[in-house]
Amino acid sequence: MGIIKINIPAYMQSFTNNMEVVEVNGSTVGECLNHLVKQFPGMKKQLFSKNGNLFENIIISVNGESAYPEQLAKPVKEGDELNIVLIVGGG
Amino acid sequence: MLTTNELERYDRQIMIKGFGEEGQEKLKRARVIIAGGGGLSSPSSIYLAAAGVGMIRIVDNDKVELSNLNRQVLHWDKDIGRRKVDSAAEKLKKLNEGVEIEAIDEMITEANVSQLVAGFDLVVDAMDNLPTRYLLNKAALEKDIPFFHGAVYGFEGRAMTIIPGKTACLECVYHGTTTPEEKFPVIGVTPAIIGCIQAAEVIKYIVGIGELLTNRLLICDGLNLKFTELKVKKDPNCKHCGHLGGKE
Ligand SMILES: [Zn+2]
Repeated sequence: MGIIKINIPAYMQSFTNNMEVVEVNGSTVGECLNHLVKQFPGMKKQLFSKNGNLFENIIISVNGESAYPEQLAKPVKEGDELNIVLIVGGG
Repeated sequence: MLTTNELERYDRQIMIKGFGEEGQEKLKRARVIIAGGGGLSSPSSIYLAAAGVGMIRIVDNDKVELSNLNRQVLHWDKDIGRRKVDSAAEKLKKLNEGVEIEAIDEMITEANVSQLVAGFDLVVDAMDNLPTRYLLNKAALEKDIPFFHGAVYGFEGRAMTIIPGKTACLECVYHGTTTPEEKFPVIGVTPAIIGCIQAAEVIKYIVGIGELLTNRLLICDGLNLKFTELKVKKDPNCKHCGHLGGKE
């Protein structure tokens, strides 16, 4: 279980003390996000619904590739980089 | 054949390597439908008309409102209350008389989407909601028409090009996810960036130059001015395109 980097999108950085990148530990995407929330509790409402599911309109990518369909269960390893991608529909 | 006037008008782009008079003739023959007449439609239609795309159909059934004018630059103060498609057609015709503009004042629905895109070479996604984007995605796939996706929220933008049966489609990436249909924040520069990227993709596709934005969703973070990509694959189980073609 090594260090994994999570890039925080601009509109969420107010919940991470303006940090653009947060380092976390975990062996799955889910564990990494939980560690992120542990460090920055304000991120919980940004990522998870009341019943603890990742919001439908968020895609997590691992090294630029969508974690779908495994999502939270997707394994990660030291040096991996996660991105939080918001699905947007405005025009 | 291009006229003397056209050769002069498009001289600077004809000069681009790989473009040439042949590329300009392809643009002249192209028929593009732009779904939507607002924020994304404004820049994409302006630059496609300026580039000399032969025929542009714009579909929208809204009227111009004051709160549209911060971003929908085709519509001006004088147009408030007018049908958006009429306002758009007037400006585009004045910009380039050589381009045929067709204004369709209709809401895009499951019932009419197929008929609206039929006979067009390309579909530009300039909608303001995801459900209609899925209708367009599906119709474009069924009719084997390339589909140019764009979307915005605040300073955030997204874009992707879809070649039916060959590259990942919108459903492959988003799996039918919708976002709440509500008033969303946006500033004009974001649809300007994304709409221009869509127009650039359309031009590249028609002329046949460059590398298209396929199998990658472009993510534009305008606040930090960072562009990243989400690599995506055509999903063999995709509800919209799983049954089509091979992979690339
Ligand atoms: Zn698909």
